[in-house]
Amino acid sequence: MFKYVKHLNYPVNIHKKDLRMAKYLLSQFGGSNSELAAALRYFSQKFNMPDDYGKALLNDIATEELGHCEMIATMVHQLTKDATVKEMEEAGLGGVYTEHGKGTYPTDANGVPFTASYFAVTGDPLADISEDMAAEQKARAIYENLIDLAEDEDVIRVLLFLRQREVIHFNRFKELYEYYQKKGYEKN
Amino acid sequence: MLFEDNNFDINLSMFMPDLGLSRNPNILDPNEGFLRGNMFRNEYVPYKNLTYFKLNPRNEKEKLLYRIMALSFAINDLNLYLDLHPDNKDMFELFKKYVVEKKELSAKYNKTYGPLTVTKDVGTKYDWLNSPWPWDNMGGGMYV
Repeated sequence: MFKYVKHLNYPVNIHKKDLRMAKYLLSQFGGSNSELAAALRYFSQKFNMPDDYGKALLNDIATEELGHCEMIATMVHQLTKDATVKEMEEAGLGGVYTEHGKGTYPTDANGVPFTASYFAVTGDPLADISEDMAAEQKARAIYENLIDLAEDEDVIRVLLFLRQREVIHFNRFKELYEYYQKKGYEKN
Repeated sequence: MLFEDNNFDINLSMFMPDLGLSRNPNILDPNEGFLRGNMFRNEYVPYKNLTYFKLNPRNEKEKLLYRIMALSFAINDLNLYLDLHPDNKDMFELFKKYVVEKKELSAKYNKTYGPLTVTKDVGTKYDWLNSPWPWDNMGGGMYV
């Protein structure tokens, strides 16, 4: 069961419209290495974890990632909400406006809609957790690309926070992976 | 570089005093851990020369919510650690300490500024739906 808390995981308060950055940030909402992919990946994999360590860790990280989806979508919303149709078109978001108006829809930075084929559930804990480790590293790399592209401190500070969470999650998954490897858990 | 001139000063006297628990120097205070995005000093890996931003709450409401969010963050990060180390007693004590403080401050926030969770809406009128929602940044507190 989930319970909503009426605050973000970390504050997002962007004052400056920036359509260019909004377009790039969509990558972390609905791209292959996005927060949404992370949330659904761990949420789906948790049902087949072989012991309580894995069940707890995947459950709890999945929940946190859903909070990160909300943060990214909030950023996109705040960066675009005051834009005119003409400005969206000039920023290369004419297609987005056509399909979604000012709505926030999970796609990657190139407009490709989110799909579950971005992640796997294999039934093999070692395979699943090594994917999770890779996913955290890829998301960290994407955040670094986004930080390189960003100009507004209101955007950068949120990206730095989210990037550091990828580092921590990688460390936790790595520890779980090494433990499961020692335990000799295989497909169940 | 970034944020060095961004003075951060939050009045800590409004928060619970330290209970004198044996503190692990590797564990950051929730306010600092929250800004960095992790509670464990040795796991902090800054990107390039960028460190982290400091937040400047503008009023009592924002200060209170800031601390609640910092505690909520600290609880979550210790939660992930405890998932793999449930027998670490010191960590569990610290976790419980933050849970208690967050519970008290959330009750205070709910009473003064409105509910953070729908079941806390037990005032005279139903005001859960009232703005700002967390994705709004107009007309509401900076940190919601």
